[in-house]
Amino acid sequence: MIKGKNKILNKGNIICCCGDFSELYRIRKFIYKNAQLFGFDENESNKIALAVDEACTNLIKHSFNLDKSKEFCVTIEPSTLKFTIKILDSGEPFNPLQVVETNMNEYFKGYKKGGLGIQIIRAVMDEISYLPSNIERKENILILTKILS
Amino acid sequence: MIGDNKFSIQHKEVEQVDCLYLRGYLDAHTAPVLESAITDIIGKGQNKILVNFSELDYISSAGLGVFMAFIEDVRDSGGDIKLADMKPKVFSVFDLLGFPVLFDIEKEEKTAIEKFSVKDSATRFKIKK
Repeated sequence: MIKGKNKILNKGNIICCCGDFSELYRIRKFIYKNAQLFGFDENESNKIALAVDEACTNLIKHSFNLDKSKEFCVTIEPSTLKFTIKILDSGEPFNPLQVVETNMNEYFKGYKKGGLGIQIIRAVMDEISYLPSNIERKENILILTKILS
Repeated sequence: MIGDNKFSIQHKEVEQVDCLYLRGYLDAHTAPVLESAITDIIGKGQNKILVNFSELDYISSAGLGVFMAFIEDVRDSGGDIKLADMKPKVFSVFDLLGFPVLFDIEKEEKTAIEKFSVKDSATRFKIKK
């Protein structure tokens, strides 16, 4: 999937990164720019970039176990009204949809600290799906879609 | 000033309140810098903390998690972490998850600092268990 080394490809609709949180800034810029080009306003573009940041943060944490030598790619596949982002990695499968939805009242009562990233992704994106790697496909793919209304 | 070129914090004391001025982008990469700054303040026995967001351009859940990590202990000791002067795009992230219920978020730093001198000013933000 991923050719080359850290901080590489950034052509058009794809950006590839190493598993380092320092890459999040670059990913957000890439998503924000493309979301605006697609037609989302500044507020929506910021939120889409935030959702992708959260997905990539989870990926680096849970699929890569903070291993900076691992790499992943983020692609954008725009159609007429759907802005689709795919995050492809070869780490341990981590399906965010299997994480139980957080009740924020309970969350605040318990003064909990983590697990908000998935909550943000759910709040921002219109469609979320996950394809874990299998015998035929070596990559996990998280698909996030936002509909332009 | 502490932090890197993407995120930095200035710290000063105003009327016995520790004020942190955030600048740049607060995400999983930079959140440990904020965590360390708050840990230092609490380590000195201080519990009145004001965080000024006027120069902050971005926050993710990693940043929200830092405030969640400290708020209970700070309030239990009679203090508070008050937040002020957020840009709308930063406030919208707090708002997205309902954080204004738990945190005292003021438009202006001055108002937030004044509220530290009001007894039990954080009471209405405490969540009943």
